[in-house]
Amino acid sequence: MKERAIPWVFLLILVSLIAFPFIVALLTGSSPLGVARGDRMIMRGESVRWQAVLIEIFLLGILAMSYNLIFGFTGVISFGHALFFGMGGYTIGLLLEFTDLDTTSALIFGLIGGLALAALLGLIIGLVSLRLQGVYFAIFTLAVAEMFFIFFGRLQLTRAEDGFAITDLPVWLDPTQSRLTFYYIVLAVFVLTFVFIRRLVNSPTGAVFKAIRENEDRASAIGYNPLTYKLIAITIGGVFAALAGILQVILNKKVGPELLSVTYTVDPLLMTIIGGIGTFTGPVIGASGLHLLDTALREQIVTIGSTTIRVADSWSLLLGLIFIAVVLIFPQGIVGTWMRWRARRVRLSSPPKGAENPVQADH
Amino acid sequence: MLRQRTSWITIIILIAALLIFAAATSRNLGTFGITVLSGLFQAMLLFLVASGLSIIFGLMDVLNFAQGGFFMIGAYVAYDVHHPGGLIDMTGAIPNADLRFFLSILAAIVIGALLGAFLERGLLRPLYARPIFQLVLTFGVSLVLVEAVRFIWSTTPYSWTALFSVREGYFTLFEQQFSTYRLFVIGIGFFLIVAIALLLQRTRIGIIIRAGVEDSGMVEALGINVRAVFTLVFTFGCAVAAFGGAIAAPFLGASIGMSSSFLLSAIAVVVLGGLGSYVGTAAGSILVGLAIAVMANYSAEFLNLPVLASMTPMLLLVLVLLLRPSGLFGERR
Amino acid sequence: MNPTDPILTVQAIHTFIGQFHILEGVSFTVPRGSISVLLGRNGAGKTTTLKSIMGMTPPREGTILFDGQNLIGKRPYHIAQLGIGYVPEHRAIFKELTVRENLEIAERKRGDLARRGDLIFDLFPDLKRLYTLLGGNLSGGQQQMLAIARALVPDNRLLLIDEPSEGLAPVIIEQLMSAIERLSAQTTILLVEQNFRMASKLAQLYTIIDDGRSAISGSMSDLVRDEALIQRYLGVA
Repeated sequence: MKERAIPWVFLLILVSLIAFPFIVALLTGSSPLGVARGDRMIMRGESVRWQAVLIEIFLLGILAMSYNLIFGFTGVISFGHALFFGMGGYTIGLLLEFTDLDTTSALIFGLIGGLALAALLGLIIGLVSLRLQGVYFAIFTLAVAEMFFIFFGRLQLTRAEDGFAITDLPVWLDPTQSRLTFYYIVLAVFVLTFVFIRRLVNSPTGAVFKAIRENEDRASAIGYNPLTYKLIAITIGGVFAALAGILQVILNKKVGPELLSVTYTVDPLLMTIIGGIGTFTGPVIGASGLHLLDTALREQIVTIGSTTIRVADSWSLLLGLIFIAVVLIFPQGIVGTWMRWRARRVRLSSPPKGAENPVQADH
Repeated sequence: MLRQRTSWITIIILIAALLIFAAATSRNLGTFGITVLSGLFQAMLLFLVASGLSIIFGLMDVLNFAQGGFFMIGAYVAYDVHHPGGLIDMTGAIPNADLRFFLSILAAIVIGALLGAFLERGLLRPLYARPIFQLVLTFGVSLVLVEAVRFIWSTTPYSWTALFSVREGYFTLFEQQFSTYRLFVIGIGFFLIVAIALLLQRTRIGIIIRAGVEDSGMVEALGINVRAVFTLVFTFGCAVAAFGGAIAAPFLGASIGMSSSFLLSAIAVVVLGGLGSYVGTAAGSILVGLAIAVMANYSAEFLNLPVLASMTPMLLLVLVLLLRPSGLFGERR
Repeated sequence: MNPTDPILTVQAIHTFIGQFHILEGVSFTVPRGSISVLLGRNGAGKTTTLKSIMGMTPPREGTILFDGQNLIGKRPYHIAQLGIGYVPEHRAIFKELTVRENLEIAERKRGDLARRGDLIFDLFPDLKRLYTLLGGNLSGGQQQMLAIARALVPDNRLLLIDEPSEGLAPVIIEQLMSAIERLSAQTTILLVEQNFRMASKLAQLYTIIDDGRSAISGSMSDLVRDEALIQRYLGVA
């Protein structure tokens, strides 16, 4: 597959994301930095509020893209993605709060350690279990993730179910002090993840991923060891999931077993499927769509007859139902369905000629 | 045949090893008795979830991740029907607690069957050509079941408070009190193991199911509407799981955690026994049930690590998958 | 046997498996009471043709008429119930079921087996002796006999038999051939067979399938004399 130039649409989106805090600030007359009170900043105003929403979208986008690399592009189904996300978060949290390291080294070692741990876990899990066929691998990953969830939920050292707060963040990184800086950091990580995964998938290695997804036996017949490539996919996917977990911990300044809960497996799965499995933009669109919907609906109260339902209470239920509906009705997701529709239009409007436009195209 | 015999020997050795370990780590005969009894109790509940899981997987190649959810739903429905308040309050209409208990089990079975039939006909049937999506879908359904319970009954676990005759009885052995209810559940479990075995061996539908586990396409080519059999088996499997939840509730209460813990233990059972093998599922249930009880006793008494007990199902599952993914009675794939 | 009274008419069927276009226009007729055979090289599409008739790999285009009824769009169990017995390749009997259960499962009405038992045990006397054994414990030839016997339990007006001689010893093949010959007195048979000697002895009519298309049909007595044709499509002489 040939390397294509970055379409101008992506550049346009990138520029608007960079300008976003200032645009919102201009439109609403608020400051992109928040409100100063003495020598501290208070995160008040529309601009910082929307920055937080976008930061979450970027985080979930990174998580969903990492899942898509494993599930969408390589065809390996894992139900244990939360493990990487949570372990990334726990690593940096533990180094920040439970060691004598100074903040800067704790952050550096936390980042490196979290990513390295995720890579190691990915390697170990992959090595011992990728021989297992589809269903068995899914079960295996679910069981391992659940084990860690239960373990950290009971571990007294990390305050068990309650988890612990991050108190030791430098001011320049602290999202409750310098949200704008954090916004740009997360945006940069998000863009790098997108570009990295796109390049990886369009590289010869990525071509093998997709070959494995389509037909594992054939891929190994042409001389590629599927095990090696699946291992690469799950390790890289795990590292990016851990990155998302680390950023999440800094954003919320909180570490707890919920980071390891099945939620962080289901969310990326859901976002990938809704956006479009095996597409580049799909997971991002899925993540933004769902998170915006979540933010918009969370405060809503629906009254049907005499019963009032707070959407926030039933949000997860709603998500699950959306999930089932999408799997049943349009399993190609938003991007996949759109591309299929466009491919059909192209085919109808131009006379058929040799190579057909493949559906799993470059988007 | 020979493989069957070695499988049996392996099972017996493993069970004996567990019992010896339990005896060695028990303070006295009384605690040993409790461990064995609660192991068998756990085993029977596991069997009720795992039997459906195994037959459904064997017949239609669907690993139903929602099977644990049906167990949980069964527990909640039974709790709700039996106790005052909740969605349905039967305490006024039927003051007799025993009768109400019978009714609450019936309600759980009916709800489980209805939901199961809906899941198979409405949601899984369109996806038989796409197995990965079936897997993803049942996973999604398992979460919807949990969220639905959270929505209807809140997140606080319920513990069973309303008493009825079988639940109240105790007997004494080795100077230790044992609940008759455990014996009751174990009895029902053994009865069902035999009953389902007879159903599979002796009836026409049983022959069709066993043939379908081997080759459902061929069964259909003989003129049998296999999809109708799928629906029937799926419905039955979900109803049995819900029944399991209902009879577990008087002892274990009703909680959201039941869904994943019983799912994972049941998968451990099914993988250990060999997916699709009924004998393997029955033997695997007893093995895993005992293992969980022994581990619970050991980790609480000696290691001071009660967390190990809750991790046992996953640990077992991971070990089985690594050491013997084809299971004891399964075919090597 | 009357060529103007076909029990089965297959017309221009196209079948896909996944994205692969396996059958690209197969047409032939099977006269009532005949033994017809589908010939062709490995992978030509003979087995897929039988599966298409059964609805197991439903064709996307074309028509299949069985006794005047269109089979397209019907599910396999429905097609079987119309009176078609299918004996798949590789003797797909149920290995975990006893011989008896293998036969019982094929009953469409209660008492089918009792009614047809004499015929079945007359054709395959061995099965009586093996009645309580598991299918998996039978020899290859016994399994093949069981597979055919299974298709005889209900009243089928057409039998589709896929490669009955595959992997069997010559003595067993002889036994099978005589059984199939005797069967044709009662029912119509459509055979797929690689063993040309067997096919030419049994069948009155043939259709050659080549590369997913029906190339040529005719009477077997003409084919055996046409060595050029045999050489061209079947590579045997």
